[in-house]
Amino acid sequence: MMQSYWFGDVDGGRCHPYSGDAAGLADRFLSLQISIDRFVPFDGTIALDCGFCHTRADYLSKLREMCVIIAKRRIREQYRQKDTELLQMVRTLDELDTVINLLSERVTEWHHIRQPSFSRKYRRTPVRNLVMTITQRSRGAFGRVGGDIERLSETRAMLAREVSERADEVMPNCSALIGGLVASRLLLQAGGLQALARLPGSAIQVLGARTALFSHLRASTPAPKHGIIFQHRRVHNAPRPVRGRVARVLAAKLAIAARLDLYRGVLVPEFIDPAQARIDAVGKGP
Amino acid sequence: MIWAGGVLVSQGEGGVYGERMLGEARVWDPYRSKLSALYYLKKGVELSPDMRVLYLGAAHGTTVSHVADYVEVVYAVEFAPRPMQDLLEVIQRRGNVVPIMADAAQPEQYAPIVESVDLIYQDVAQPDQVTIALQNSLFLKRDGAFILMLKTRSVDTRRTPDSVFSEAAARLDSGGLAVTESTWLAPYYQDHAAIVCKKA
Repeated sequence: MMQSYWFGDVDGGRCHPYSGDAAGLADRFLSLQISIDRFVPFDGTIALDCGFCHTRADYLSKLREMCVIIAKRRIREQYRQKDTELLQMVRTLDELDTVINLLSERVTEWHHIRQPSFSRKYRRTPVRNLVMTITQRSRGAFGRVGGDIERLSETRAMLAREVSERADEVMPNCSALIGGLVASRLLLQAGGLQALARLPGSAIQVLGARTALFSHLRASTPAPKHGIIFQHRRVHNAPRPVRGRVARVLAAKLAIAARLDLYRGVLVPEFIDPAQARIDAVGKGP
Repeated sequence: MIWAGGVLVSQGEGGVYGERMLGEARVWDPYRSKLSALYYLKKGVELSPDMRVLYLGAAHGTTVSHVADYVEVVYAVEFAPRPMQDLLEVIQRRGNVVPIMADAAQPEQYAPIVESVDLIYQDVAQPDQVTIALQNSLFLKRDGAFILMLKTRSVDTRRTPDSVFSEAAARLDSGGLAVTESTWLAPYYQDHAAIVCKKA
């Protein structure tokens, strides 16, 4: 019975080595169909015997060359999936938020010490403006940190725009339903577009509400009505009595949208328009 | 194995991951490599220059680089792209490592590449580690050794590590991999067991 190995075919006692370069070897190897039940283990010396290579070192270097080509190809394939970079972008966005908040808090506390008469009570200034006013015209590191926070905020705004644009590209249907930013956060929680498309609507509804969900499953606390999708305006603006229902309908539509995004990758108006109407109708209440 | 005053080392080009050097030798830290920990516990299989090794779960190539210093050739299987990027960098300066980007649970993906080997080393964080081991034992020569690093917490977090361990040992035995030695990797690792088997 014939056996195919990376260097050629072995048929009984006869061996037919493959003659070609490393890229050709890789193509041939990737096209091999192997059934593990009928696979016969081999020893690399048969490749020497049949004239595929002259020395053991030659055998290994050819094999390595082919394997490196295959590995690089597979890495590129994996990274080319469009959602991989979006995941990193969303993570960076969240981390920027954390950093900006931390630094702003710290600078304000620092300012309290530099200005004993300073207090934030009865002030309605947003933290960001506050940081700008207190660090303006300050010398040294204090002033620099203020400028850094300012620049980080600009970067954050720019990144948020890019995330949103990229989400429109990677998951057009989900983005149409809940907006690019929230859609990417769902993507991040699920761990990728394929993972998201495999989730049922009920799981999408409570994605990001893990603590509440498990405390519900363990103890008899109320079930969470929404996770990340609460950030979408139609959920958080809905009147309380129907908020859970909006979340459920929206999540169910998102489950379909995610599958459209994965398998079609383009906006499907025949689905989106009725879906939007349905969600809006539920939000108006009974 | 090469010991330099109670420290396990391997002979090869240094600077792979910032490891300490003792003269020309690379220190093989038991806290960073489970295989090293096994040797520190005076167990495991002696590596020799004529050995062919199949390494499942190669990750970033830290342990792989040390094994490669000892043996003839290492077939390093890794599935995830990110660690594979690092592994490719490591092997650039190590001519006897063959990088295989494939799923260890699907040996048919790489069977035509891997010749029969003297040792299989498996360190994968999967629930079905024993199944993967049995599937891959076909690459092992008769009397060849199998070292399985059993991550009991990856198998099942709700069961006690001891029960996961004894079930795994029993399944290996009945699957044709006779257990010759086994140990917990404490104090170096928690809830990790090493099982050394011999193919009948």
